[in-house]
Amino acid sequence: MSASSPSRPSSRRAAPGRHALGFHRFRFRRLRSLWPGPGPAVLLALAIAVTTALPLAAPQLTRRFVDDAAAGAGTDRLTLIALGYLGLAVAGQAARILTAWLAARLAWTGTDRLRERLAGHALGLDMAFHGRHTPGEMIERVDGDVAAVAGFVVAFLLDVVAGVLLLCGVIAVVTATVDPGVGAVLLAYCALIGLGMVRAQRLAVPSATRAREMNAALSGYLEERLAGAEDLRANGAGEHAVRRFHQLSAALWRAERHGDAVGSSVLAATGVAFAAGTALMLALSGTLSAGTAVLLLQYTLMIRTPFERLVNQLRHYQTALAGLGRIGDLLAVRNTVPEPSPAAELPGAGPLSLELDAVDFAYGDDEPVLAGVTIRLAPGETLGLVGRTGSGKSTIARLVARLYDPTAGTVRVGGLDLREADTASVRRRIGMVTQDVQVFTATVRDNLTLFRPYPGDDRLLEALAEVGLDDWDLDAELGTVSAGEAQLLALARAFLADPGLVVLDEASSRLDPATERRVDLGITRLLTGRTGVLIAHRLASLSRVDQIAVVSDGKIIEYGRREDLLADPAGHFARMLAGVRR
Amino acid sequence: MKVAAALARFELRRYLVGGLLWLPASVLPLAGGLILQQLFDHLVAGRVPLLLCAAFAGIELVRGVTIVIAWTYGDYWWSAAAALLRANVLRSVLAGRGRAPRSPGEGLSRLRDDTGDVVQFVDESVPLAGAVLFSTAALTIMASIDPAVTLVLVLPVIAVGVLSRLLNRTIRRLHRHSRALGAAVTGHLGEIFGGVLAIKTAGAEEAALERLRRHNRLRREAAVKDRLATDLLDAATGATAEISIGLVLLLAAPAMRRGDFTVGDLALFTTYVGWLTALPRTIGVIMSRMPQAGVSVERLTQLMGPEEDLSRDTGARLHRDHPAAPRPAHDDPLRVLRARGLTTGHGLHGVDLEVRRGSFTVITGAVGSGKTTLVRALLGLEPLTSGTIHWNGGPVTDPGRFLVPGRTAYVGQVPRLFSASLRENLLLGRPADHLERALELAAFDRDLAGMPDGLDTVVGPRGVRLSGGQAQRVAAARALVRTPDLLVVDDLSSALDVETERQLWERITGACTLLVVSHRPAVLARADQVIVLDRGRVTGRGRLEELLETCPEMRRLWSLTPLEEPRPSAGARAAAIQADAPGDHGDHPSSRLTVTD
Repeated sequence: MSASSPSRPSSRRAAPGRHALGFHRFRFRRLRSLWPGPGPAVLLALAIAVTTALPLAAPQLTRRFVDDAAAGAGTDRLTLIALGYLGLAVAGQAARILTAWLAARLAWTGTDRLRERLAGHALGLDMAFHGRHTPGEMIERVDGDVAAVAGFVVAFLLDVVAGVLLLCGVIAVVTATVDPGVGAVLLAYCALIGLGMVRAQRLAVPSATRAREMNAALSGYLEERLAGAEDLRANGAGEHAVRRFHQLSAALWRAERHGDAVGSSVLAATGVAFAAGTALMLALSGTLSAGTAVLLLQYTLMIRTPFERLVNQLRHYQTALAGLGRIGDLLAVRNTVPEPSPAAELPGAGPLSLELDAVDFAYGDDEPVLAGVTIRLAPGETLGLVGRTGSGKSTIARLVARLYDPTAGTVRVGGLDLREADTASVRRRIGMVTQDVQVFTATVRDNLTLFRPYPGDDRLLEALAEVGLDDWDLDAELGTVSAGEAQLLALARAFLADPGLVVLDEASSRLDPATERRVDLGITRLLTGRTGVLIAHRLASLSRVDQIAVVSDGKIIEYGRREDLLADPAGHFARMLAGVRR
Repeated sequence: MKVAAALARFELRRYLVGGLLWLPASVLPLAGGLILQQLFDHLVAGRVPLLLCAAFAGIELVRGVTIVIAWTYGDYWWSAAAALLRANVLRSVLAGRGRAPRSPGEGLSRLRDDTGDVVQFVDESVPLAGAVLFSTAALTIMASIDPAVTLVLVLPVIAVGVLSRLLNRTIRRLHRHSRALGAAVTGHLGEIFGGVLAIKTAGAEEAALERLRRHNRLRREAAVKDRLATDLLDAATGATAEISIGLVLLLAAPAMRRGDFTVGDLALFTTYVGWLTALPRTIGVIMSRMPQAGVSVERLTQLMGPEEDLSRDTGARLHRDHPAAPRPAHDDPLRVLRARGLTTGHGLHGVDLEVRRGSFTVITGAVGSGKTTLVRALLGLEPLTSGTIHWNGGPVTDPGRFLVPGRTAYVGQVPRLFSASLRENLLLGRPADHLERALELAAFDRDLAGMPDGLDTVVGPRGVRLSGGQAQRVAAARALVRTPDLLVVDDLSSALDVETERQLWERITGACTLLVVSHRPAVLARADQVIVLDRGRVTGRGRLEELLETCPEMRRLWSLTPLEEPRPSAGARAAAIQADAPGDHGDHPSSRLTVTD
């Protein structure tokens, strides 16, 4: 499931070896989205400083209290010290809440920016990438991985940064108010524990990565099965799907168990190390006052808490690190259909010419799907592609819409090599209607505009009317639609886009004759003044095209003007027609 | 609560042993405190008791070891409990009375996060037990030293309890809100990556992202509020430790002056007070998790049928393989399937249907006439508001669970394939006995022969690497592997070329009883019985030729799809027929070619 290796062997444009060189730069660059800006950062730093400083004062009060009590001070004075302690406690908690709130807000803002950047990057990737990754997996990678990072960022600010600050504070205070020697021992001891923890955490990263991958696989599995719930149910395969889920869960458990064993050992070891440290402090403080001994006890307890939290967060830290690695991997995947620079715009209006010049194509490293496909279409002309299923017709359509680039040869639209054309203008000027219409769980409006803002509803209603869906309410949630209605919707989208070249891949296959006739009129209107490529399994749908290309096993075995092909009874197309009637 | 108890019970031994293993971790600090007390009293007396120092460290060592053991052991229970809940919901959605979530992404968020919340809540019972045990013992020891101070220390603990109750409702509301908005984010992500082809071809990436930003912003605001409320409760419990130490100082001051309360006692109180706050903290966590878990249980059961149990123990365990799915019952072979007055909330009004063994029934009609709704309702994929179904005369009360393999199999309009090998996609748990025949019947044998990896070919996510027609035929083969008595097919041939389509119908006819949604003349001509639907009602029923005489709707549909082409004598004739209608092809009889053998 490696996402980092876009497989495009023979691209002329692939810059060699950038992946290896770019890796370290990515480590920093991918975190850039998380930086909240200077103002909020200063505010947060301030809050953390206050949160750390307040508890530092408390043990000083206890020491004063114990030593004063031993020296026989008055009850008033002792009460005053106790009240001061209480005040500090309340203020400390208030500061902690404020810091937590601030950190949560900044972390969410930053990680949302990262989510959006990831989603944008992933959407920009080619269809080959999306063919390999399920939507469930993408949810996990855009949302799940980032959530792990978000949890870590908050914990990092509150536990690691605040903990280290507290540690420094304690050591400074002990050195200043108790004894420099004790302070030095404390420092050395903490450094030792810290070092040990970092080592142990490195140990745990590989198993955390594996657990995370298992998690993503499980998510992908569940998403696919939920999406295909009806197919499974109607085929009596529900129990089987549950069984497979169980096997994946067991694999996930095994992966997690290993990571947890490492994590809990580190936690336990930290506890033991601290207890030993406390004992050591107390043994050393034998010569100091009882109040000082209590102070040292409180300080060691105080630094123990953040250390324990820190180790407890190690789980999150590990998943975050693994998540960060996967985020980097995702961002490192490069588009095999890259944006050219400088980019040229396709002609802005009117029908576009289309030229395929000796085009070869293969999906990834698989067998070639197309070989030496050559097609020439003048502006405003239409081409019909015929052939058996799996012969490569849809692949030609995808190349024309530049969902892929050819492995050899050139696709030219409006005289421009698509690899040199600005992507936005390609999307604007080339429209495509596919076999399987993708319908969104959203309003009719969103389904029509694909979430884009449109000025005024008139054009939307007009587009719906073109395909006979006049009775649809733009603001209604689109519930279950029949496949026929979905295809009408897809045609309405095409009307709205107003392209100069239209690719209709079996666009009306799911319609009943009455509806298809309605759509046929619409398609004719859509093709008027536009260049068109039509794929149809039913040869009759091609009565309006100018040219016909018969595709078989990735090659064009017959190509010409429709009337010429019909005039040759020995030709493939004429024979196909005759075969249909037999 | 019921769910929580069931979760604890289903692996009671592991749950209890895991819990018991955790207890020393909570109780051992008692000994630590007692040692500290002695240690400080020695320190005040001017001695350095090295043995006590060593004992203090030793106790922590024992505690550390038990933590490692308990944690690793407890993992199993955690994972198994989560898997149990997820499997139960999944089973309900895929095979029981549950319903599929609005969007798969949203459903995923429920299965992933909500189950985690429920299990986490039950898991909290372990620290609670430990905290209660520790607190009881600690308070007893402390009371024996200074009952008055001990009594006062209970007050902050009670205060936290009260506060938790007050904040609970708010937290519950905030949490539900933030979860719903979180599901909206994953739902939207699922939508845009599920429909990525449509978005890319339309160049609508930026708009989809803008919508993501909006969902993100809403969730962010809700999540920060949710977090703040939880933090407030957390801070309140955290503050009790500090305040308690302050109170100890305040109250013990006179006793300390008198010498009744030693520095050792103070050390003991200080350490115990720190651990004591674990009780209100744990109670606080449980209190805040209880409503969250309640919301989660609610969200999970929403996906399930009315009488299904979220926490039912199926006997499946992570350390051994899940039992294989039972072979479906196949004891009452189809003689006749009758449905009367089938009516659904929208689309279908009192439709009757009768299918006899070995017959070929076709349902036809215009777009939106209810063809698909009819077969889906018959198979229990869509709820019926009224109507009855009888299998060989016996009533079928739950069609969704009765009309499944081996009685029936279904090929939907847009079949979904999964990211797995072709073999797995075809069999889905069935033995491979009928695989070859099914592939041949579905006219997929030739395609398969062209695949270098054969049945081990991995079909990409949702089967995108197969062409539309190939995916449809794989789905047909998937249904045929199940050797159904009745095969229900919704618009199978829509993405097939003419030759493949003819092959498929030729092979499949007679292999089993067929109920087919179609408007293709080739299919209509083969049918023993055609049922014409118009706006959810039956307007005609019979053989095609009868209907063409008696049924106006059939004639209307048919006028656009002549059964017979003018017989061509040569390709040139065909050219003339095809070429002469560029402008008005809509009314032209040759707008569709048909098979008439």
